[in-house]
Amino acid sequence: MAKRTSKKSNGTARLSKQDRHTLAQLTELAHSVVRAAERKRDPHLDIPARSLSNVRFNKSRRIIEMGRNTNRRHLFNLNQAKSYMQTLLVAAGCKQLIDQGKTTSIRGLYYMLKHTIKGTKEETFDDQSECDPVIEDLEVLVRCLREELHLYAQKKGDMVGPLVLVDNGDEIDCSRMGSGGYGIPSIVEPERIQFKKCTADFVLHVEKDTVWQRFNEDKFWKKHNCILTHGGGQPPRGVRRLLYRLHHELGLPIYCLLDNDPWGYYIYSVIKQGSINLAFESQRMAVPDARYLGLRSKDFRECELSDSVKIALTDTDRKRARQIAQYPWFAHKKKWQKEIQQLLENDFKLEVEALISKDISYVTEVYVPERIAAGDFLD
Amino acid sequence: MSTAAASSRKRRRSAEQLAAQGRDISVSEFFAKNRHLLGFDNPRKALLTTVKEAVDNSLDACEEAGILPEIWVQIESLGGNRYRVSVQDNGPGILKKQIPLVFGKLLYGSKFHRLRMSRGQQGIGISAAGMYGMLTTGRPVKIISKTGPRRPAHYYEIQIDTRRNKPEILNGRGQGVDIPPGEKGRQYMEQHGIHWEDVPHGTRVTIELEARHQRGRGSVEEYLEQTAIANPHVTIHYTDPDGQQRTIPRSAEVLPPEPKEIKPHPYGVELGMLSTMLKQSREQTLSQFLTRSFSRVSQSVAKKICETAGLSTRARPGRIGRHEAERLYQAIQQTRIQAPATDCLAPIGEQLLLKGLHHVVPGQFYAAHTRPPAVYRGNPFQIEVALAYGGAAPTRKVSRELLEELLQESDARTLRQFLIHTFNGIGADGAERILKASGLGVRKVPAKLRKAEIDKLHQAMQHVNPDEGQTMTLIRYANRVPLQFQQAACAITQAVMNVNWRSYGLSHSRGSLPAGPVTVVVHVASVWVPFTSESKEAIAPYPEILRELRLALQAVGRKLGMYLRRRARVKQQEDRRNLFLRYLDEVATAVSILDNTDKDHLYQLLLEVAKRKTAEADMKLDRSGRLVGPEEELQDESVLIVEDRPELWITRSSNGQQAHGETSETED
Ligand SMILES: Nc1ncnc2c1ncn2[C@@H]1O[C@H](COP(=O)(O)OP(=O)(O)OP(=O)(O)O)[C@@H](O)[C@H]1O
Ligand SMILES: [Mg+2]
Repeated sequence: MAKRTSKKSNGTARLSKQDRHTLAQLTELAHSVVRAAERKRDPHLDIPARSLSNVRFNKSRRIIEMGRNTNRRHLFNLNQAKSYMQTLLVAAGCKQLIDQGKTTSIRGLYYMLKHTIKGTKEETFDDQSECDPVIEDLEVLVRCLREELHLYAQKKGDMVGPLVLVDNGDEIDCSRMGSGGYGIPSIVEPERIQFKKCTADFVLHVEKDTVWQRFNEDKFWKKHNCILTHGGGQPPRGVRRLLYRLHHELGLPIYCLLDNDPWGYYIYSVIKQGSINLAFESQRMAVPDARYLGLRSKDFRECELSDSVKIALTDTDRKRARQIAQYPWFAHKKKWQKEIQQLLENDFKLEVEALISKDISYVTEVYVPERIAAGDFLD
Repeated sequence: MSTAAASSRKRRRSAEQLAAQGRDISVSEFFAKNRHLLGFDNPRKALLTTVKEAVDNSLDACEEAGILPEIWVQIESLGGNRYRVSVQDNGPGILKKQIPLVFGKLLYGSKFHRLRMSRGQQGIGISAAGMYGMLTTGRPVKIISKTGPRRPAHYYEIQIDTRRNKPEILNGRGQGVDIPPGEKGRQYMEQHGIHWEDVPHGTRVTIELEARHQRGRGSVEEYLEQTAIANPHVTIHYTDPDGQQRTIPRSAEVLPPEPKEIKPHPYGVELGMLSTMLKQSREQTLSQFLTRSFSRVSQSVAKKICETAGLSTRARPGRIGRHEAERLYQAIQQTRIQAPATDCLAPIGEQLLLKGLHHVVPGQFYAAHTRPPAVYRGNPFQIEVALAYGGAAPTRKVSRELLEELLQESDARTLRQFLIHTFNGIGADGAERILKASGLGVRKVPAKLRKAEIDKLHQAMQHVNPDEGQTMTLIRYANRVPLQFQQAACAITQAVMNVNWRSYGLSHSRGSLPAGPVTVVVHVASVWVPFTSESKEAIAPYPEILRELRLALQAVGRKLGMYLRRRARVKQQEDRRNLFLRYLDEVATAVSILDNTDKDHLYQLLLEVAKRKTAEADMKLDRSGRLVGPEEELQDESVLIVEDRPELWITRSSNGQQAHGETSETED
């Protein structure tokens, strides 16, 4: 232990304010174990519940906030002992990362912590799917983002547009990124990324890479002077945090172009109000003013699409749609209720690519410009 | 065939003609034609039955005379399918004039006309064996019997005249030979090739017969082993046809209590029998008749019976009519009469049963239960059950070195034999499976195995679980005699299959024997065991007997259930303890990384909490389950729980003895 402390003193000098906060949170976790043990009590962790029932919609801030429900995890409970141990392992792992000023992917952390438990044939973690939820538990437990725990998820999401930024000291002109775009890192905190110059008028966020390619190829962002992003489906935190910063720091409106299905609605909901899973992050990620440009349930008729682009709703789709309609942040919005109602009546969903059936560049040259010009979006 | 059809046919013989043909059928002749009824259906069984009849008689005689039995059994192979069986005891011997009758006349016996618990009861056994030998080899039965140290030994060579059911003495000009005691006699025996274990008194019978010797199920070896379980007071010396000698020493130094002869109990007497008894009675009054002919009938009970029957206590028994007899019969059934005296039965007893079973069958858990005596048809009987459970198969625990040693010592001719005889309780089936898994030939000579082959064998032994798919081994006894055949036809088997073993933790489908590493021993003791046939192989299913069997089986079943549940619970507690402990070190390490706490100190603290927590959890289980205090309940005299010591069940051929419990000489 003594050795480790001396080594660490080097690292401590480089600790950022955020790091020191995170460390304090992690250490407190350890203190609670020691305190319980000294009083001969069964140590436990109170982990905020990550479920819809434990989130609250803050009407004035228009974001999801986490409620007070917690799940207690005991060390001396047959069903919880292992996950209790795993939680502390993850905490210790993160602390070591912070001490060393290193970051790793969540997969890296899994490998860092995976080993055979002494005197047994049992592994600390059987596979990564066992480790990932524990990381989320720790995030809500110590109220630190995974990035603050020096962890990042697999990078997905790209950006192009008239924006110059500095990433880790390197200046990057996002208008000169060729066909690939600037890969949005998972940590986009101001310490790491600073905006240098931006002339864009708005941000167009599309659901996935394929659609983003279409827009980039058609130089949509040049013609319409905007920043073009995608998040590879459900946008990772890096992308969400970047959208948040573009909106709040640069005052850019955010338009979302997503599939016309419950999944698209949900992506929009996460960008706009925050995720249910990590509700405590909402205040740093949610963009309540984000706008839903499309696709809309009415588009099949309005754009005169052919029957062949319809995809039938499944039972899960219908269930999800009804669930989303019940979300407090959609419940009182007539337009949204109509939108979802219409989807259910249509009984089919549409992908953004469906518009290509009209014309390869219909979506970039007609659909989006018209909708933006007309201010025809959901809010 | 219908009568109409019969009468329509032409008569072939007149009644007179038929009558002229009819004659007495000699019993001996009858049985000569129906040898299967006596257990001589095939050569293999004939060998067993011969040994068995002789040994049973020896044990009966010793016990009756109050002598701790020591028995010598020898089987010699005479080439071809001829064998010579000799059985000697240290019993009281037989009087000279009775010897020819005992061994040369069917249905001559001292046990038929009495109600007393004994192995033999019909007076057929040994003479039938002798007859079988004579019929198949033409050789006479040879008997030597000596009644005291200074008495001469009577030597007879006897044949049975099957037509007249009479003995025919071949030696000493039809008189037999008397061999004087002492040196002179010894010389005579030597000269005439007569073998005699030097005991002051006893009987030796020698029969030559056509037979086949094969080990395994239904063998002489099995019979002797099973006899040892139920008769822990007997020492058996056995020489097999290969000349191998083996002794199973007695584990108890006391004789079972002497069973007394009893009068019949009134409940068991049928109406016809009652009428006959009344007619033949010489008693003056009905009251006297009742009190003197039956057990457990006092003056007042007799009075009550008579009152209920509406008969005078002073009525003359001989004059009781048919209707009155029937009323008397009904009255007996309606009157409460004490159960028959129990001293007519000599149960093995829970303690000795446990001892005997533990002696021979490997296991971890043993339970025994002796029911109080009960009555069927006026015959007292008593059921005893013992059960052995579990025990890792000895084959799985043997080290590579020990195996090599055992192989070298072994004089078994095949690997199969080696496995069966060295590792007690694995059975032919288990041996077969091990050999199959090893890929070695069945016929390999154990002592000549190469290193690589020993490796293969060792691996196979460790991997094959001989208990797997094993069904309960059921060992049945009637009056301490093992019943090795007709298992399916026996009331005992029926009772075992009808018990719901699942509720005691065994897997079991109705109509079959339960599965698992279980051995159940059932002993039916009675003054008159109701066999289904003269070969004394299966017990008839009287409802009273089935009921007592069920109750006894359930009693041991419950104990087994308790044990198995306790074992499961202990395992659960252990699992819990391990689970907690497993993670403590990880947690302590993680915490020390996080806040520099002293890891070992924290570990100790957590360990204490863990101990408290486990104890609490264990308690909860006690309160919620129906397992309250099973430890106390199981700590009773009729239960034996032993450490799993598979090495005890390895028989080393170097000393020719079986490793038995604590007395064994095994190397760890
Ligand atoms: N070894 C012996 N020592 C003393 N007496 C014996 C011996 N063997 C037989 N007897 C006597 O001979 C009698 C006849 O024996 P046998 O085996 O033929 O009939 P059992 O034993 O009475 O009945 P079962 O037919 O059921 O065997 C016995 O009742 C017994 O009195
Ligand atoms: Mg007999």
